[in-house]
Amino acid sequence: MARKILLVDDEAGFTQLLKMNLEKSGDFEVTIENDSTKAIATARSFQPDVVLLDVVMPGMDGGDVQAQFQSDSILNRVPVIMLTALVDSAELSAGAVAQSGSSIVLPKPVDLSLLLRVIDEATGAA
Amino acid sequence: MEPLTLVESVLDNLPVAVFAKDANDDFRFVLWNKKQEQITTVKASKAVGRDDYDLFSEESADYFRSVDKAVLKRGKLLEVPEEIIEGKDGQDIHLRTVKIPVIEEETGRRLVVGISEDITEQVQSRAKLESLNKNLLETNQELQETQLQLIQAEKLESIGRLAAGVAHEVKNPLALLLLGVDYLSGGIDPADPNVETILTQMREAVDRADRIVRGLVDFSSQRALTREPVQLHAVIDEVLLLVKHELTRSNTKVSVSIPADLPHVFLDLSKFEQVVINLVINAVHAMSESKSPRLEIMARAEKLSDVIKNQGARKYEVFRSGDNVVTLELIDNGCGIDSGDASRLFDPFFTTKATGVGTGLGLSVARKIVQLHGGELHVSDRPDKKGAIAKLILPTKVDTGKVALTSNFPK
Ligand SMILES: Nc1ncnc2c1ncn2[C@@H]1O[C@H](COP(=O)(O)OP(=O)(O)OP(=O)(O)O)[C@@H](O)[C@H]1O
Ligand SMILES: [Mg+2]
Repeated sequence: MARKILLVDDEAGFTQLLKMNLEKSGDFEVTIENDSTKAIATARSFQPDVVLLDVVMPGMDGGDVQAQFQSDSILNRVPVIMLTALVDSAELSAGAVAQSGSSIVLPKPVDLSLLLRVIDEATGAA
Repeated sequence: MEPLTLVESVLDNLPVAVFAKDANDDFRFVLWNKKQEQITTVKASKAVGRDDYDLFSEESADYFRSVDKAVLKRGKLLEVPEEIIEGKDGQDIHLRTVKIPVIEEETGRRLVVGISEDITEQVQSRAKLESLNKNLLETNQELQETQLQLIQAEKLESIGRLAAGVAHEVKNPLALLLLGVDYLSGGIDPADPNVETILTQMREAVDRADRIVRGLVDFSSQRALTREPVQLHAVIDEVLLLVKHELTRSNTKVSVSIPADLPHVFLDLSKFEQVVINLVINAVHAMSESKSPRLEIMARAEKLSDVIKNQGARKYEVFRSGDNVVTLELIDNGCGIDSGDASRLFDPFFTTKATGVGTGLGLSVARKIVQLHGGELHVSDRPDKKGAIAKLILPTKVDTGKVALTSNFPK
């Protein structure tokens, strides 16, 4: 069965291309949410296996969204992969994976093969 | 006391030098008053009966003689605004002299009467004043250069603060580009409908990154003040691009309302961006506690009335009632301005922010820049006390078409 991925990022072009790449690379069903304030509602109806979450977004930032997921009895079990272009995360050199609380942090621009590997690990498909 | 005629005693007590030469007797002096003695340090007893060549250098005498002849020829008064004779210690004495042709009633002699005023002191103080003025101009020039340096220093500081945000904004298009490359490097299937979308997105991403980086480079350039006719909308768009990250992170909603037919304003683009960036960042900081931060940016063409609305009876600083101007307002819904701070906002280094967040130079430099543009900047509480309002008043040219033509703006 296809693994379900939810992309939450305000950059519409980025999410569109990421979805195309993911769907080309594996058996994924990808849903995009560009409005972070609607992320929780979308997630409840979509029931993703993994969430890719941008950090800096208008409305609600990635941290806020993640907190909402944490307090949801079903969604709190869904692994979250944070993507960030923040320069503060410069220590996070390309290819590095960091752990922040319960979520994994990847730097943007993201290396696709690395992302696929992390998704595999997070969904226990590796 | 020596008995003198009335005329003699008047002549000797005049504060001006008086002398007369007899044109019928080779221009020999026939009159030489006290003041003339003092100025030339030649006694009347020595001078009377002699001519200019006996008393002055040949060069001077030639000159005096030519003037005397000219006076006689004209038959009218002649004024020599400034002439120089050599004083006792070789110092120059500056004289203002009037020469009058006279025919003496009793004798029929043709005389040249001269009246000279010693203007040496005036000339010297004028020279002093001129050199003082020159110094003042130089000092002023230096001051202006220092001001421009200060403006540049403040700009570098804001660039430093914006840099992280700008880098973030560039990384997003880069991230998209990399995804495009990843997708296409798998081999291009001409039937794949995604390819066209991806190429379009990639092109847009390059444009976007380019715009942001170019905006930053333009902004950081150090140039003297160079004004060009500018559409205010273009300035605001550039600024919003540079502060986009700050606005996103603070969740600030921005609405811009600028009429399309707003007259051009004469601006130094990069310095003016510096002003607007400062005002936007100030608003963002002021709204950090606001539930839904909102920044309204409004511009309009206006004919000034007497008083700045909402500011009591304050008159304009450089504008007059009736002037045509463009006003730009940035209205926030932040903490507003503490009444105790209102008078100090524009003082250099006045800040209510933590070190590292603000240095307090923003508004003082912004006002300086606006003044260099012949405009005014005011920051005040909103009348409804729901935030602050920064108002810029800028001069416009009435004939904008002409302005655009006469200026060769670099593009
Ligand atoms: N929109 C505003 N709302 C409320 N207070 C403001 C606003 N703009 C400026 N101020 C007040 O004016 C002070 C001076 O502003 P200014 O821009 O000169 O310096 P700063 O913002 O503190 O530091 P800098 O601009 O050098 O980083 C601010 O510290 C703040 O207290
Ligand atoms: Mg400031």
